[in-house]
Amino acid sequence: MYNAGMPSSKPRTPYHEFYADDFTPRDHYRLLWDHIKATGNNALEAKAHESQLALQAEGVTFTVYGESEEGIERIWPFDLIPRIITAPEWTKIEAGLKQRVRALNLFLGDLYGDQKIIKDGVIPPELIYQGRDFRREIVGIVPPRGIYTHISGIDIIRDEQGEFLILEDNLRTPSGVSYMIENRVIERRILPEFFNKYRVRRVEHYPSLLLAALRSLSPRGKDTAEIVVLTPGIYNSAYFEHTFLAKEMGVELAEGRDMVTVNDIVYLKTTTGLQRIDVIYRRIDDDFLDPLVFRSDSSLGIAGVINAWRAGNVAIVNAPGSGIADDKAVYPYVPDIIRYYLGQQPILNNVPTYQMTNVKDREYVFDNMERMVIKAVSESGGYGMLMGPSSTPALRKEFVALVQENPRNYIAQPVVYLSRHVCYMDGELEARHLDLRPYVIYGDDIEVVPGGLTRVALRKGSLVVNSSQGGGSKDTWVLAE
Amino acid sequence: MLSRIADSMYWMARYLERAGETARLMEINLLYLVEAEEDMGEVDKWRPILQINASEPLYVDQFGSGSLNTSRVLQFISAGRNNPSSIRTCLRLFRENARVARDRISKEMWEAVNEIWMGFNERLKGPLSAERAGALFVDLRNQVARFNGLVASTMMRGEAYAFYQLGGCFERADMTSRTLDVKYHIILPDLSMVGSALDYYQWAALLKSLSGFEAFRRNYHSGFMPADVAEFVVLNRAFPRSIVFSVKHMGGALEIIGLENKDATRSAFASVSAMVDKTSQQIFDDGLHEYLESLLAKLAQFHTALAEDFFQ
Repeated sequence: MYNAGMPSSKPRTPYHEFYADDFTPRDHYRLLWDHIKATGNNALEAKAHESQLALQAEGVTFTVYGESEEGIERIWPFDLIPRIITAPEWTKIEAGLKQRVRALNLFLGDLYGDQKIIKDGVIPPELIYQGRDFRREIVGIVPPRGIYTHISGIDIIRDEQGEFLILEDNLRTPSGVSYMIENRVIERRILPEFFNKYRVRRVEHYPSLLLAALRSLSPRGKDTAEIVVLTPGIYNSAYFEHTFLAKEMGVELAEGRDMVTVNDIVYLKTTTGLQRIDVIYRRIDDDFLDPLVFRSDSSLGIAGVINAWRAGNVAIVNAPGSGIADDKAVYPYVPDIIRYYLGQQPILNNVPTYQMTNVKDREYVFDNMERMVIKAVSESGGYGMLMGPSSTPALRKEFVALVQENPRNYIAQPVVYLSRHVCYMDGELEARHLDLRPYVIYGDDIEVVPGGLTRVALRKGSLVVNSSQGGGSKDTWVLAE
Repeated sequence: MLSRIADSMYWMARYLERAGETARLMEINLLYLVEAEEDMGEVDKWRPILQINASEPLYVDQFGSGSLNTSRVLQFISAGRNNPSSIRTCLRLFRENARVARDRISKEMWEAVNEIWMGFNERLKGPLSAERAGALFVDLRNQVARFNGLVASTMMRGEAYAFYQLGGCFERADMTSRTLDVKYHIILPDLSMVGSALDYYQWAALLKSLSGFEAFRRNYHSGFMPADVAEFVVLNRAFPRSIVFSVKHMGGALEIIGLENKDATRSAFASVSAMVDKTSQQIFDDGLHEYLESLLAKLAQFHTALAEDFFQ
């Protein structure tokens, strides 16, 4: 068992980001609080309404699957009250994320190379070989500059003591960065006066950082780099983001069927013929990337793209095979991975985690299911998850069976009561739980954009922040001093 | 540019044009219902609309023949989810194509797309009375005009713009041909009547549904001579909804796009173009209906050639 303390040994009151106690806001929120009080409820209501209209007109939406043939497009839910992170808090988060991403990239290079970490007995081989996202097909290929995860979105939560913990690494196609920017744009437009009182660090340059990182990977040199954003299409839940990034970077937004490979070179089909592509920022999973190598029934990918990548004629971002490093079964080992490759102690800790392959852990989890979150290791977006406190006996029984059938496929964590923040809900200021997803770009160096996507569980008492499960978001302010 | 995006720009314009033209047709027909002689039944008043909309068989399939009435047709043409030519369907596909081409259109255009789509849907909630429908059609036409204004004022004059223009002009040529054909057929069942001044309301309705009533009056002073109306709608180079006007503008868009190595498109367009270089005498000698039928067929061939040369 890794870092797992007794879940009941901790205080059960969630950390409050905004209030120091029942009556006083924390120091860094005081100016904001004074301003909100002075603004009054009517003005806030008008602003909330205005922000809704703006999001609607701009078509800032995400799609929820499976509700109808057209797919339900929802307006991005946005809360007015910003979440503030102080400079010292951010310094630690930033250092912790850089450390983690650096170590995970060394880990990936090792897994698809010499596999020293397995030979040295730090990671059990079956953990890797049974992982759905370990790609045997690409062992031995070294991606440009040895970088695998050019873009990472790391989920951070705050426990009851206010300590920042890593909840999840998203290293495949992390989404949400466009909402981080849209939130800022809206916040500044609707509440310009909020910004006068603080020195808030900027986040809107993210697309130019991304573009520079993508250009630096071009096999033909960065000055002639032809780049595309590869999208599964308009019905994908993150399609808004795909168009947003393509537009902001000024590159083509393409689908798999827009491209062909000829002699290991990838081309775009244009109205004037074929045009060579150097860098593909793909927003589809490995499984669908190349029907010749991975799932042969995929119509979303590009046949032959992996061979082109192997030949060094095209860069794929993030690199194929990155998913094994954010496998939830690998997650408990990340602190060891950091120690192994960097010889450092992790700056940010993991949430205590139980391995379902370990019999003792498993029994303990089964005995305490009401206090556990059980997660399928290869799922994301809040799918395939059991939230202990709100689960029914029938659902718990179902999960016991699922776990017993395939223990490698699940992990469990004691429910962490995510920190809370005030939100403006239908005319009232109410407390809601939230997390934070900062974005890390690995180009010439590792950079963390000062901010991130703060996701809010809009339902009272809920701990699930995913937008597909009724979550909302806030603008996130990292203070400059 | 990306073939798929070219395809979407083209269809985006076509669907919007079709939605707008259909709204105009419906709006005028609603007024005409009030103006026309009383002995004309609802069936006669709505059948032509279903024919122009190319959805008569589907309607009959769904509601049975002889079941034509105003409220049902209004619902079917405006909101029918399984009618591929309903205004709602056109607007949905307009928006879908705009989403595909989202990175190629301006922010202003995209916001207007959302406004049009969401506003239209909002107003379909609740029953669609003739009165509410009339107002809805007027507003939609205004929004379409505003959208095309945004296209003109915010879009780069490159390939994407050219494909948008091509789609819009194509759809207009197509709609105008079909409107003229259906209406002409109904108004003039007997060819011997060509040349006589006929029912004022019918001709006025036809011209109004093409926004050409006033212009026609200014150009022709001897009442509604059918040959004059046909000549005006097909061959008047200054009338922006005439067939020749649309075809000439398609040619302009094709020049920007460039037809190097696109022989199929080039020759298909040449034969469309040849159709509008005829004189009115030639057209009437061959028969207007035959002429329009052949024009529609040539337009369809052009579309096929274009899709093969550019969209695949």
